[in-house]
Parts: sequence; C-alpha cells; structure tokens
Amino acid sequence: MKNTFIELFGKPEGIVLFQLLEATQFTIYLSLIAFTGGGILALVLAFMATVHNRVSNITSKTYIWFFQSTPLLMLLFLFGLGIPRLLGVNVNIWLAASVALVLYSSAYIGEVWRGSIESIPKSQWEAGEALGLSFFPIFFLIILPQAIRIAIAPTVGFMVQIVKGTSLAYIIGFHDLMSIGKRWANAPVTGTEPYVIFPLMALIYFSLCFPLSQLSQWLERKTKMAS
Amino acid sequence: MELRFFEIYRSSEYVLLLVQGVANSLSLTVLAGISGFIFATILAGTRYFKIPLLRQICTCFVEFTRNTPLIVQLFFFAFGLPILLGYQWPFWAHALLALTLNFSAYFSEILRAGFQSIEDGQKEAALSLGISPTVLFFKIIFPQAVSKTFPSLNSQFIFLFLTTGIISEIGVVDLTQAGIFIDSRTFRSFEVFITLTVLYIFLSIFLKLLLSILQKYFFRWRFVA
Repeated sequence: MKNTFIELFGKPEGIVLFQLLEATQFTIYLSLIAFTGGGILALVLAFMATVHNRVSNITSKTYIWFFQSTPLLMLLFLFGLGIPRLLGVNVNIWLAASVALVLYSSAYIGEVWRGSIESIPKSQWEAGEALGLSFFPIFFLIILPQAIRIAIAPTVGFMVQIVKGTSLAYIIGFHDLMSIGKRWANAPVTGTEPYVIFPLMALIYFSLCFPLSQLSQWLERKTKMAS
Repeated sequence: MELRFFEIYRSSEYVLLLVQGVANSLSLTVLAGISGFIFATILAGTRYFKIPLLRQICTCFVEFTRNTPLIVQLFFFAFGLPILLGYQWPFWAHALLALTLNFSAYFSEILRAGFQSIEDGQKEAALSLGISPTVLFFKIIFPQAVSKTFPSLNSQFIFLFLTTGIISEIGVVDLTQAGIFIDSRTFRSFEVFITLTVLYIFLSIFLKLLLSILQKYFFRWRFVA
C-alpha cells in the first residue's frame, strides 16, 4: 500500500499522503465514538426533558446549557490534563478525548432532539392518553417516531461539527490526521511546506464533512416536502 | 487531591494575565465578528443577485470554509500563506484574518436564508418603481433579512466565540493562552481550566446580552408597527 503511494507520487509526497490518509482513520474512529456516545446520552437527555418531573427537566436543561457554553478546547484540557493531574493518575488519551467529545456532542444533539420532541403537537399526547395508553407507549411508539423524522437532518448536520471538533484532540496528544499533518508541516523537508500540507489536510477533512452536510441538506428538503 | 484555586488568584501576575487574555479574546472576536459580518453581506449579496461566476466562487468558498476545521484554516493563514507570498504579520493579525473568513462563511449562510425568506414581490415592486438595485438591497432587503435572522446570527456568533480559543495555538495571548501559561507555571491544571471555563461562560452570557440589547436598539422599527 505504502509502496504504491510512493510509486504514484514519488518521495516524500507519497509517504506524506499515505501517512495522512492512514491517520485519518483515527479521526473517523473518534468521530464515530463521539457520535454514538453523544447520541445515547442525548436520548437520555431528551427523555429527561420530556417526562413530567421538574427535577429531571431542570437537570437536563442545566446539563445542555453548561456543555453548550463550554468551549470544546476547555473540555479537552479538563479531561486530558486537569482531572488526571488532580487525581494523580494517568488517563488513556483515547478515553480523555472520547469523554470530552461525547459530553460536547451529547449537549448539542440532546438539544436538537428535545426541540423536535417538543415540536410534536400536544394533541398527539392527548390522543394517546384518550386511547388509554400510558406514558412509555405514547413516548416510544407515537412521539419518538415522529420526532426522529424532524431531528434527522440537523443531527446529520451536527456530525460535521463532530468531525471538525476531533481536530482539536491533538492538543492533548491524540494521534490523528491533525497531529500527523502538523508534524509534517513543521518538518524541514522540501515538498511538505505548510502551504502544501494544510490545504491537503483541509481537502481530506472536506471530503469527510462535505458529503455529510450535503446529506443533511438533502434530508432537510425531503422532510420539508413530506410535511 | 485538593483544590488550590488560591494559587491562581493570589498572584497578581496571573490575574493580570487573565484580564489581558479576556480583553484580547473579546476584542479579537468582536473585530472578527464585525468584519466577518461585512464580508458575509458581500458573499450573500453576490449570491442573492446571482452574479455569474462570482456567485459560484462565493458558494465554493462558503462550502469549503464550513466543511473544514478552523484550526487547519488558522494554520494555513498563519504559517502557509506568509511563506508562500513572503509577508510577515503579527500573530493577532493572522488570527484576525482566519477568524474573519471563518465567521463570514457561517454568517453568509444565515443571511442567505434571510434573503430567501423575503418574497420576490418586494423586489419586483421596488424595481418596477425605478428603485436602483443598490437602494433595494441596502434599504429594503438587507434590513428585513438581518432583523429576521438576528437571533440565529447571535447564537452562531456565541458558538464561534467559543471556538476562538484555538488562536492560542499560533501564539496569540488570548484567554486560553493565558490559562496554558499559568498551568505551565503552577501545574494546577484542573483549577486553571475550571477558571477558564467559568470565564468563557460569563463572557458568552455577556456577549449574548450585549447583542440582544443591540437588537432592541437597531430594530426598534420592527416592534413599533
């Protein structure tokens, strides 16, 4: 694989391109972890915001507000440096980066899902109650399926923010596209000048993010047409 | 394990550095916000009037900027472009350039939606009355679009403000850089970054409030009628 790249693009360009693409897989893995973890937490948050219980409503709102007003960079510093130093333990870099990104994405996705559940007309709840259904069947069988249709476009759109957000994880020592690219840009090798490497990295990030944002726009048009 | 916040605030050097960081972060964000908004108006206007070629270039710029991380753009404008074109600016100027272009892409997308929400009838009516396209744009379309999209612009601005911490990576002494410096001296990482988090939250509340006051002031005409 590496040799093919070297044959195609020569040295050092082939090696650089191969290493960048190889490091991109970690960007993708981290994005997937952040999205899956964030999605699960977001479902809990949206549920907590909907149930008829003031304490859980306020908890969910406060959580969302707090993590939406905290910069991702601060979360990374807190989980990558702050908490390990406070407790005097070594924390795996994957764990630190994942926790920070999961908390960050859960707040934004949770807000989107809460909004789409609330946008379902009250009459749907009332109709369910009139049929003698209890809270859980109404929530999971009537409200949620309708809410998912509204929520899917902004959720896919937020995945772009997650992929872009993973580029900050290199600051606490995470090994991904950003860290490899930066290392090559700093290397005094001809052919890897910063004005070559950074546009190349931008192109790789773009090819990850652009399909997602196009998909999100397409889904948005489709849901608009359906309603 | 014990919290030692006093190690930060008992030293006047650190407190002064934090104040300086807040001032730098705020002023760079506000400057980038203003110039980004002006540039966004040009971008969205070009697309509104469907100027051939320029319109496609603007669309490409907006899509490319919105789909790449700010940090890659920042490094390109701070390290790549100066070598390529052979110029040397201070750190903050590189940061301001990158932030302005980044902000403008997001703002222009919101403005474009605002322009689209205004019925074509207004444009046709104005043009049939002999009003020039410039007057039409600045006196009829633009004020309505901005007043309609102001809440979205406000929250997008706050969101972008929270991402500006990465300008510390190119050596600008902003709030994050101040925190990193204090952390490297005291090794109280947790306390330092909790302090920064609280400061960032306060600043974002402050900016949000400031913008909603501005909204009431600028768009009085919307609430009068």
